[in-house]
Amino acid sequence: MTFSDGTAFDAEDVKHSFERSQSPEIACEVSRYFEGIAITPTVVDAQTIEFKTEPAQPILPLLMSLLTIVPSETPIEFTREPVGTGPYTLASWEPGQQIVLERRDDYWGDSPRVKTANYVFRTDPAVAAAMIQAGEADIAPTISATDATTDMDVAYPNSETTYLRIDTSIAPMDDKRVREALNLAIDREAFIGTILAEGTEVAVAINPPTTLGWNPDIAAFPYDPERATALLEEARADGVVVDTEILLVGRTGNFPGATETYEAIQSMLADAGFNVRLQMVEVAEHEQYYSKPYAEGRGPILVGAQHDNSRGDPVFSMYFKYDSEGRQSGVADPALDDLIARATGAVGEERAALWSEAFAYVHDELIADVLLFHMVGHARVGPRVDFTPSIATNSQLQLADIGFK
Amino acid sequence: MLSKRAVSSFVSLLVLIVLVFFLSRLTGDPASLYLPVDASEAMRENFREINGLNDPVLVQFGNYLSDLVRLDFGDSLRKARPAMDVVLEAFVWTLWLAAITMVLVVVAAIVVGSIAAFNVGKPFDRIASVFSLIGASAPDFWIAIVGIVLFSVTLGWLPTSGTGTVWHWVLPIAVLFIRPFGLILQIVRGSMINALGSAYVKTARAKGVKSSPIIFVHTLRNAMLPVITVIGDQAAALLNGAVVVESIFGFPGVGKLMIDSILQRDFNVILAAIMVTAIAIFLMNILIDVAYALLDPCIRT
Repeated sequence: MTFSDGTAFDAEDVKHSFERSQSPEIACEVSRYFEGIAITPTVVDAQTIEFKTEPAQPILPLLMSLLTIVPSETPIEFTREPVGTGPYTLASWEPGQQIVLERRDDYWGDSPRVKTANYVFRTDPAVAAAMIQAGEADIAPTISATDATTDMDVAYPNSETTYLRIDTSIAPMDDKRVREALNLAIDREAFIGTILAEGTEVAVAINPPTTLGWNPDIAAFPYDPERATALLEEARADGVVVDTEILLVGRTGNFPGATETYEAIQSMLADAGFNVRLQMVEVAEHEQYYSKPYAEGRGPILVGAQHDNSRGDPVFSMYFKYDSEGRQSGVADPALDDLIARATGAVGEERAALWSEAFAYVHDELIADVLLFHMVGHARVGPRVDFTPSIATNSQLQLADIGFK
Repeated sequence: MLSKRAVSSFVSLLVLIVLVFFLSRLTGDPASLYLPVDASEAMRENFREINGLNDPVLVQFGNYLSDLVRLDFGDSLRKARPAMDVVLEAFVWTLWLAAITMVLVVVAAIVVGSIAAFNVGKPFDRIASVFSLIGASAPDFWIAIVGIVLFSVTLGWLPTSGTGTVWHWVLPIAVLFIRPFGLILQIVRGSMINALGSAYVKTARAKGVKSSPIIFVHTLRNAMLPVITVIGDQAAALLNGAVVVESIFGFPGVGKLMIDSILQRDFNVILAAIMVTAIAIFLMNILIDVAYALLDPCIRT
């Protein structure tokens, strides 16, 4: 196996790639996956590298698959001549205009069918869709649902899950009955095929059904506004101040129809007896509500957000969204922390079983959040190419998966 | 006059830099946008350290100024390249777009506006007025999308978007053309009607000057003063970047770059872009002054 610059690929390259990703000189985003784990790579021979981790990491192979491999000659700083072991090389880059990839002749694996790939960037999805129609481009991976009207358009699960993150440390949402009432008050089915595209699914977990340990036994909360109101009254009778204004934060343009979706949710919650104020914010402000450290002295907040994990294992989602230490976690539950730790350390069927247990615990016991939808995306694929968008298409477009008719 | 103007413009530019420097930093921390949502505090801290964002803002400003006098505009956070390179690359696109559009607008608006003024109330004037009002008020993103659907998708005459051939310029320029054309046409028409009704034209006509071309040339010169003010104003707007048109047609111009860098908190690019466009507008104002002086002897010193 060789790199696209012709040099051989060996264990030293892996070691350098790992160390480069951890270097404090560059802010490499891959490094976040290895945080809190002491990893020592040792080159055994040219073909073998040993990783020692503390604590033990059963998903280390999965983590390592996220590491970008570069030749050991690559300097630490950013490079504009990317070199990899993949089937393509960067042929040209014109800032703001296009990127061109060329197929390598000396690639070690099966040669993909696409010889040259030309990437252009359009802010407006309607224009991207028009380019396919005019025959100027072959694939527009994300177009808006309203433009998806031709037989070239395909809907696919885009692995995004929409949910309302509950800050369970603040009254009245520290009361489980209140959280259940939030869940019962929203008519999820009413959104599908109306504000949100046909094909959207009601979520019972933060990860899509293709994820390890996804639990088919979890039943989605029914739409039951009477029961929601009754639960609120019950809580009120016990002295919970259920009239406190709850701030619902949504992100403008987070997904097509985001504003309308949150407006509808606000009115459904209000119908059930909640006092909700909606605020749509931009990315940066949203991040301040969504990620720790949370503001001191804050009131009760529901953060509408989307989470994307198409890797097939829920470990990142579970840790970041539900562990006491997780950056976007709204819960601090020792039993759940323990469950996540055990599942993280487990393998095989045991791992799947523990994740199943965790999904059920989060949804049924803790009622940690208001899970809403697994979203769909739309792609337009031109008549020349043979390509079916899948759950991975939202985050990556594998050139090798594309053929011609 | 020019040196006085240069000094005052330089002072404005300095004030602008100070304002933008501090205001842009008020929008928040670039680390939370540059790094993934699930990045840890340690990663953020490291990112800020690498990019000098941990220093007190006044220290950052001092560093920026001391780099600036050496003509170092800093690097783009997003693009890991010198901010000025990024901005100039984009500005060239915008400059061409603005220059071609304005030349076409000025020629077309003066010709059509003058003909309309000579034929006040007649069909040509009515039609020109209606179209210019539609042009001045129609939203450009809508015109752009309709243009793409009609001329690229349905008729297949023009490319939808992007750059590369001369044909790629047609739609963006056409969309940019419409609004200033409508506006300037109205000014030309009004100003010409005024001039045609003035005493010197009446005198000329009374003395027997029949030839419309002669009257046209004399009135145009006087009618042009208010028109030039509006032309300058419209050209300045175009130099700031045609955000909508650049975004829709995928034109890598400075308007889109500026919006993107504000959204991404790429401070150095925001500052460099503002300096470049401010200087361009300053230079254009000088051109406008020169044009005034050429047209109106009273302004000459």
